[in-house]
Amino acid sequence: MTDILRSWIGGALPDWLIVLIAYLLVTIIVLFYAVGNFIMMVWAERRVVARMQDRLGPNRVGPAGLLQPIADAVKMFTKEDIVPRSADRWVHLLAPVVSLAPVAMMLAVIPWGRGLEPIDLNVALLYIVAVSAVSGVGLMMAGWGSNNKFALLGAMRAVAQLVSYEIPAVTALLTVVILIGGMSLLELPYLQAGVPLMGTTILCSDPAGCSPLLYTTITSFPGSVSEPVQALDLGLGWWVFTPVGLLGFIVFFIAALAEGERTPFDIPEADSEIVAGYMTEYSGMKFATFYIAQYILNFALSALAATAFLGGWQGPGVAALANMGGPWVHVAAALSALYLLAKIWVLFFVMIWLRGAFPRLRVDQLMDFAWKLLLPLALVNIVSASLMVGLTQWTSTQWGGLFSLDGFAPWQRQLIAILVTAIINIAAAYWILSINQRPTQEEWLEEDLVIASRN
Amino acid sequence: MNILITILFVIFAAFILTSAIMTVTVRNIVHAALWLISSFFGVGALYLLMEAEFLGVAQVLIYVGAVSILILFAIMLTRDLEGSQHRQLTPRWWIALIVPAALFGLLIVPTVMTYAWQLPPPPPAGQPPAISGAQQIGTAFMREYLLPFEVAAILLLVAMIGAIVVAFEERERRRRVLTLAEQVRLRQQQRRSAAPSPEPAATAVQASEATGGET
Repeated sequence: MTDILRSWIGGALPDWLIVLIAYLLVTIIVLFYAVGNFIMMVWAERRVVARMQDRLGPNRVGPAGLLQPIADAVKMFTKEDIVPRSADRWVHLLAPVVSLAPVAMMLAVIPWGRGLEPIDLNVALLYIVAVSAVSGVGLMMAGWGSNNKFALLGAMRAVAQLVSYEIPAVTALLTVVILIGGMSLLELPYLQAGVPLMGTTILCSDPAGCSPLLYTTITSFPGSVSEPVQALDLGLGWWVFTPVGLLGFIVFFIAALAEGERTPFDIPEADSEIVAGYMTEYSGMKFATFYIAQYILNFALSALAATAFLGGWQGPGVAALANMGGPWVHVAAALSALYLLAKIWVLFFVMIWLRGAFPRLRVDQLMDFAWKLLLPLALVNIVSASLMVGLTQWTSTQWGGLFSLDGFAPWQRQLIAILVTAIINIAAAYWILSINQRPTQEEWLEEDLVIASRN
Repeated sequence: MNILITILFVIFAAFILTSAIMTVTVRNIVHAALWLISSFFGVGALYLLMEAEFLGVAQVLIYVGAVSILILFAIMLTRDLEGSQHRQLTPRWWIALIVPAALFGLLIVPTVMTYAWQLPPPPPAGQPPAISGAQQIGTAFMREYLLPFEVAAILLLVAMIGAIVVAFEERERRRRVLTLAEQVRLRQQQRRSAAPSPEPAATAVQASEATGGET
């Protein structure tokens, strides 16, 4: 964006102004992209849930009810803005802003397509985790500033849930950090090129005879750190197809559901218990701000899950189009953006599906789930990821001469690594699940209860 | 560009100072915590201005995301939420201002004046400057500063085990959260066991209580 602007109006303005304008334009584009998706998500959620519950859903405004979100927005704009008399006016006003701003900041580092990255930050994964933790402060402010019991209860629940589910989420993301040896989201889709399971380890034997439609020059990938090689690339080497990536994806997606307060984990705003949680005292645009923040958080978390484990913008045909050069690079960018959008929507559909299928968890079930199931699985996965990196990339000197895999071809090493990690992950998952299913003090005798309550 | 950076630095510094002063002067304790958060943010922005991205992000993650949430939790779980009746300043606050300022000045002015600052040479034109990225910090922790790193890790582990020991109830005494049906059944049982008492007056009271409680 900066380069385009420079070539257009390079002489007329000072350089820093051009950079500023370029970033402003990028910000506006990204925000409009997210808000456009938010509008579609609201509509889709209502229609899909209605379909699952054998209802019709909104179908009056526009074709198939597509304009319903606009009608809702007009209603939100024109609603009276009510501030409770005993509320803390400033905290009450700032809370929606503080909860929306970090969520919008998360969008800045996600690669939306091939060559469509707003910012290249080399600690992008950590940045996303850090920024999403800030929105907890906004929820706390909302709960406290409204001066309402339900709001405070909801805020406490929300923040407790946010804090405890952040740990499995971060631990699951750590596997990605280990696999790529860094925290940049920018390289992540490039590293997930190749074919399912094998990644980019199927090399071209004859450099002259390999078609650029099927083979891509890969500079750095698991298995080689030295010179660029030609590898078979269908754009499908997503990490979710390897045992490490699959377990990481499952843990991260469940934790993302909890962070986004989606239904099995929606105790912070359980309507049947505490009205609407921290949003109880909000109406009009402030309520809409919370609403937008929540959906954009889900959107950003889906985008992160897709980028980290489902290959991001990677898909069949992107690399081939990019290799053809010339104007096809732009076609490749558009196609890759479409792939990422499709993945985000598939993940969001799963979220809606879960909402239609599952009841709400209790608080103790929620905590047990995070600490007894997700966290051990994620920790085992870290061991597997380290083994995967070691088996595919380390030389025998790095192994300390314990054993040598130098003689094997990259695809053989990849196969060994996948077998080893699959055995570890399946055994660990089976073991942890069986521990959790063991009945523990479930049979409480009535007498025990009476005695316990008397003491 | 340097002027721009200086202007930004002045803005952030003023922001941090204002927030910090508000933190210690504002009467409402929750407001104080919120001002503290904004001052943490300003420090994170300063790190970003120095191109220490990892430090800036870690500052936001640890101080804003964890420490301040803990502070807010602690405030909201304790009584005396407002604390507005407490006085913020003692009558002789200006002495308390002058003495530390003088001591700090005594310490910092000679240091700044006499120390020969060894600024790193500017990087060659082509390549980006060597910034303190995550990888350099990680390598430093695992090589030069391994012992302090491990000591800190053990300290945190000890703190965590201590917290678990304090919070852990013995297995026999641990009580599951009762479901609503179990609570109702429990209350009925209690009433049944309390009912056969000899005095008629007591039973009457019990009955009225029971109906009053249930309806």
